[in-house]
Amino acid sequence: MITVNIEPEGKSTTLYKTRTVIALLNKLDLRPTMALVIRNGELLTPDVKLFNGDVITVKKVISAG
Amino acid sequence: MKCTRCKAPASTALPSHNAAFCPDCFPLFFTKQVETAIRRQKMFTHDERILVALSGGKDSLALMLELSLQGYDVTGLHIDLAIPNSSPKARAKVEAFCQQHGLNLQVLEVAKEGLPIPAIKKHIKRPVCSVCGKIKRHYFNRIAREGGFDALATGHNLDDEAARLFANTLRWDSGYLSDQGPTLPGEEGFIRKVKPLYRLTEFETANYAFMKGIEIHSDPCPYSGGASFTGHKKLLGELEHKSPGSKFSFYDNFLKRGRPAFKLLEKEQGDPLSPCDTCGSPTSLDKCGVCRIRETLERNMKEAGESL
Ligand code: SF4
Ligand SMILES: [Zn+2]
Ligand SMILES: [Zn+2]
Repeated sequence: MITVNIEPEGKSTTLYKTRTVIALLNKLDLRPTMALVIRNGELLTPDVKLFNGDVITVKKVISAG
Repeated sequence: MKCTRCKAPASTALPSHNAAFCPDCFPLFFTKQVETAIRRQKMFTHDERILVALSGGKDSLALMLELSLQGYDVTGLHIDLAIPNSSPKARAKVEAFCQQHGLNLQVLEVAKEGLPIPAIKKHIKRPVCSVCGKIKRHYFNRIAREGGFDALATGHNLDDEAARLFANTLRWDSGYLSDQGPTLPGEEGFIRKVKPLYRLTEFETANYAFMKGIEIHSDPCPYSGGASFTGHKKLLGELEHKSPGSKFSFYDNFLKRGRPAFKLLEKEQGDPLSPCDTCGSPTSLDKCGVCRIRETLERNMKEAGESL
């Protein structure tokens, strides 16, 4: 299980069977250049593997205004 | 994925550049893109004084920091719009940022100019964002000129510019298509305007901001009815995903091939400009648009029995 915090909405969700960043982005319907994906303060590229218990922050980049 | 430059683990993949960078090398890529923009578009030199418009958003702060790191003579200008909750936060963010990095900052308070945005929203019968935008452009230009600056820099990125171009192309707005671009030369009372981040995408600017400790999300203005161009940005984002690099080539080829053609088409038009009677800003009437708004606001508030 992976916990995902989505900004700027401030929403939280949990994902199962999501083994890579690209799989996570696909589940959130985001393209790789539409969000920053962060784990423990580090930016992750789409190929990076995810693990059970990971807490991920997804920051969407399209600015509002 | 490994860094294209040093082979360390990458933090940022950039399909449009066929590259990936680590947190040490990405800022070098960013710097290079800004240098190329400044050089190719003849934006400014190290001998000139640059005023940087600082809204408090990630793009404007990233731009200010990057230009100062490149050794340019930069001063920030923040316009405090006097909108409850939102303006104090934006201002505090800009002030803290400039203090942290030792950057020069000027703040203009529209309330002191007789133009608080909430009163305008209440008493002026026009979309508040169009008046607000007009006021901001007016003071950016005026303060830049009065302060003897050589150029005004804004944090518009490639996504902003490509989305705006796309919107104007859908309407074939030849006025826009003839005179927009990353450098607008100064003329007749107008300061030179430059957009040094125009080669960098929103994603790239966000990565840079994150690495430099700049919060990438700001609280949206309570008066904004949803962001402009967001739909267009998403469409272009899909196109970019299928065909990396297409966003930049759409915009860059417009500059190279589209704009010159529209420039030829667009005849000299518009009324001659002269200084505003009240504030000296260029206008085709006796008084400039902002001075007229101020008078209308005073009159309407008086009639409503209110005062600033
Ligand atoms: S959204 Fe707010 S800050 Fe932006 S133009 Fe409209 S009123 Fe001004
Ligand atoms: Zn590297
Ligand atoms: Zn005036």
